[in-house]
Amino acid sequence: MKFGTMLGDLTISLFSQPSTERYPFERSEAPERLRGMLIWHPEDCIGCGLCAKDCPAGALDVIVLDKESKKYQLRYYPDRCTFCAQCVYSCRQGCLEMSNEIWELAALDRSMFDIIFGDCLENG
Amino acid sequence: MGSTTIKDVLLSLIALLIFPGGLFLLFVGLAYEWIDRKLLARMQNRVGPRWFQPLADTIKLLAKEEVVPDAVDASLFIGLPIVALAGVLTAAIYMPFPGLPPVGSFPGDLIVTVFLLSLVTICLGLAGANTLDRFSLVGATRALTQLFAYEAPFLLALLGPAFVAGSWEISEIIGYTDGRWLLITQPFGFIVAVIGLIGKLEIPPLDAPEAETEIVAGALTEYSGRGLALFRLGKGVALVLGLTLIAAFYLGGVATPLLFLAKTLVLLLVIVGIHALFTRLRIDQTVGLWWRYGTLLVLVQWLGIIIWQGVMI
Amino acid sequence: MSEVGKRETFTIPIGPQHPALKEPEHFLISVDGEIVTDVVVRLGYAHRGIEKAVESRTWVQSLYMLERICGICSHIHAMAFCLGVEQLAGVEIPPRAQAIRVIVAEIERIHSHLLWLGVSAHEAGFDTLFMYSWRDREKIMDLLEGLSGNRVNYSVNVLGGVKYDIDGAQETAIREAISFLEERTRHYLEVVTKDALFLQRTRGIGVMTRSQAEVLGTVGPTARASNVYRDIRVEAPYAVYDKYPARIILDNRGDLEARFFVRITELFESYRLIMEILETLPDGDLSTRIPRRINAGETVSRVEAPRGELFYFIKSNGSDIPERIRARTPTICNMMSVVKLLVGHQLADVPMMLAGIDPCFSCNDRMVVLNRGRNKERLLTWEALRQYGIDYYKRRSA
Ligand code: SF4
Ligand code: SF4
Repeated sequence: MKFGTMLGDLTISLFSQPSTERYPFERSEAPERLRGMLIWHPEDCIGCGLCAKDCPAGALDVIVLDKESKKYQLRYYPDRCTFCAQCVYSCRQGCLEMSNEIWELAALDRSMFDIIFGDCLENG
Repeated sequence: MGSTTIKDVLLSLIALLIFPGGLFLLFVGLAYEWIDRKLLARMQNRVGPRWFQPLADTIKLLAKEEVVPDAVDASLFIGLPIVALAGVLTAAIYMPFPGLPPVGSFPGDLIVTVFLLSLVTICLGLAGANTLDRFSLVGATRALTQLFAYEAPFLLALLGPAFVAGSWEISEIIGYTDGRWLLITQPFGFIVAVIGLIGKLEIPPLDAPEAETEIVAGALTEYSGRGLALFRLGKGVALVLGLTLIAAFYLGGVATPLLFLAKTLVLLLVIVGIHALFTRLRIDQTVGLWWRYGTLLVLVQWLGIIIWQGVMI
Repeated sequence: MSEVGKRETFTIPIGPQHPALKEPEHFLISVDGEIVTDVVVRLGYAHRGIEKAVESRTWVQSLYMLERICGICSHIHAMAFCLGVEQLAGVEIPPRAQAIRVIVAEIERIHSHLLWLGVSAHEAGFDTLFMYSWRDREKIMDLLEGLSGNRVNYSVNVLGGVKYDIDGAQETAIREAISFLEERTRHYLEVVTKDALFLQRTRGIGVMTRSQAEVLGTVGPTARASNVYRDIRVEAPYAVYDKYPARIILDNRGDLEARFFVRITELFESYRLIMEILETLPDGDLSTRIPRRINAGETVSRVEAPRGELFYFIKSNGSDIPERIRARTPTICNMMSVVKLLVGHQLADVPMMLAGIDPCFSCNDRMVVLNRGRNKERLLTWEALRQYGIDYYKRRSA
């Protein structure tokens, strides 16, 4: 039986900095593997659609613009995405990647949440 | 002649209503609440609120709509917080604040002060019993139970210094204790007084009457807006008054503002430490602790004083 | 006696919205003064229909759905599902993947137990312990974030293996975090077993004897604190637990103090397991291919979640969509023990005893159909079901 077993902790803390992270004022660096927003690299995409098929949240659509010239677009809804990285795992071409920098995804405007990766045909 | 009287009256009024009593006291209460919260946060390795947080809370609460529930006596519901705050502000009149003229001083004002300080808790209990809310009812029962358990030992602990000073008038006791550290001669009385204050004001670990995880906010569950703000202000002021009383009686007086600050803040630190260190006691444990040890300690103290006085004579 | 019976009971509702509960669940506590005389529990406020929802998702998608049954033990749900599905598909996953799964599962256990320590300390009104244990838990959260990229739903599992490797940097991070936590845990163990005032709230409170624990069907640390030898990791070793056996921590006192002791001591066990597996982490791939259509059949998968046994029943009809998945979570097994034991205790002990089983209400809320005596099956259309619901609540409130 003891009284005040945490006295040591209290005294140390009283004379040291709080351990709270002062996030918006100070940003600590995100870990390398952080699963932030999805990034698509279209070069190798073969339009197989596996990423969209496996996505548990229905956050991906593969749009085939022109099968011959391998023109695809990837439609991505970050608000539906659960950041599970299944699409990254499923894509055998390694076209998908999750950013560890873009993770502050809150927005006041819904248009932020409907992203179409890749150019339209007209633009070449 | 006539003009001087008016001037005196005016000065006294200012002293009572604005500085250092009344309004100023409210702000001191808020400041102490902030220090309390900040210290606690730092002890727990958190950042804690900014300095204006209690003030901002109060302003927000005052500006909010007060919801008066059905099936309560509306006049009581609205009146009780006012009575509580008025009670503690009245108690301030007899306080040994530096700069406050002891206008209302009379023999026996110590007793009156202690009971005025209890008015917050009594009002709290009544406010809880006034509603039909089940958390409030349990909270009110606990608040009143705790009040009765704490009143006697706290008073006895404060009567120790009164006894050696040979007077029950606060200003005379202060006159005696000024420069004399009764903490050394009456250590038990001091301990009981500090714990008594914690219990009276329902500061954790003796906060069973408003144990958040059991009965939400206890007696105050139904209060929102103005009523809640007034109760909180009342508690803040009561805390300052209680600290002042103990510092004045046991820690060698609070003759100058600097001494007042230093001593009450040290006491506050002790109370925050107790808050941070201990687990909340159940109401039966709270009451049991008091009757078993608290009262006993004071009685031992009293016996000591009486024997000592007998020896001296 | 009849006097008592006649007296109107004073009931206190704990929940569905209450500061003591972080999730919606309803306990109606009848009290006589401060003493609890009766408890009625009403579950189901957080029922989300996940079991039904996975019946229209592919196996791959179901994994992430099931992972979200519980926020705290997300990994173990996914792991139970993966183990079952891999068994049905007849796929052997690489040993390295198995080991990493177990490491993450143990890290998750640490995270869960530390979280529980904080929550129960808060219920007892000891906020300092709450703040400190959660501050230290942050180390574990950082670890998981660094390992998988997410602090909660880590999604380390995929069908056929794991997604993330533990490389040199991860390993050092894990070792550092664990050696820090080991010291802190020793400190917390001292606090909960020595602190006089804390013991006042835990010692001898909510005592559940061994026979009670067995009859009430408790699982996990709750059962182990009543000296019931029950741990799936030992009784039916899965993944790599046969190579790295866990030690069962028992206590025969059965009160709240024993539950604190068991859970905190289990932390040391998890630290040891993680270190041991890290020492001898097998090389190899992280995952193998698994067919999209899973062989028809049914299987049962049992794992030891932080709160106790987690049970999965998985049935496949040979397509790429599960036919039926049933999860039984530990909290539902432990819930009855609370209801039984609360009677006779003080009102002030209710939050503590509730927290004592480490409840997870959203896990808890599964649907059970009791059709005893009625023997009548009905199929309702969506419209009819809706009407039924409206009528039901009208009847109830009338
Ligand atoms: S991370 Fe998961 S939810 Fe998001 S797009 Fe990829 S598969 Fe879909
Ligand atoms: S899985 Fe990869 S290759 Fe296939 S469509 Fe998606 S991004 Fe393109």
